[in-house]
Amino acid sequence: MANNPSQLLPSELIDRCIGSKIWVIMKGDKELVGTLRGFDVYVNMVLEDVTEYEITAEGRRITKLDQILLNGNNIAILVPGGSPDPE
Amino acid sequence: MSGTGEKGSATTKTPGDFLKAIRGRPVVVKLNSGVDYRATTKTPGDFLKAIRGRPVVVKLNSGVDYRGILACLDGYMNIAMEQTEEYVNGQLKNKYGDAFIRGNNVLYISTSKRTLADGA
Repeated sequence: MANNPSQLLPSELIDRCIGSKIWVIMKGDKELVGTLRGFDVYVNMVLEDVTEYEITAEGRRITKLDQILLNGNNIAILVPGGSPDPE
Repeated sequence: MSGTGEKGSATTKTPGDFLKAIRGRPVVVKLNSGVDYRATTKTPGDFLKAIRGRPVVVKLNSGVDYRGILACLDGYMNIAMEQTEEYVNGQLKNKYGDAFIRGNNVLYISTSKRTLADGA
């Protein structure tokens, strides 16, 4: 079952993203794009070279961060390959 | 080996590795509320050892503050305090000789530089 290559567990998909860019969409108005370094069973994530986007009434507020541990509790969606937006 | 700040694509770093690597380093902790905390890191365990017997402020999720001397606490953040003062909206409302606070109500425990009764 698990060794059927056509079936990919969600955790295996995330594991394949390690080392590459990933787009994290949070519950609420927040998104992050960064390089995935690792994750655990709660999908807490270690990200590097992160850009954080906070969507506010005045527009997007951007914060750059070198390295973060992101609490998995508020993660909604993970998109491998990063954001389609330039910056 | 430390891996800190390495950019090689081969290095994976689990949250556990990250927590080990950042000990003693300056960090920013961002809450869901948007509030930032900037400081050097200590593990929660180090902190708990260090604050026993010291004056502390305990803020509950309800917003009520308790100031007093920390007698003891455990991993659930259950707390026993002495010379406790209860502050609601910064106003002193009550005093308790000894108080026990169940950990689920605790938002944070902070060391207080202010002396007791200096209050609010």
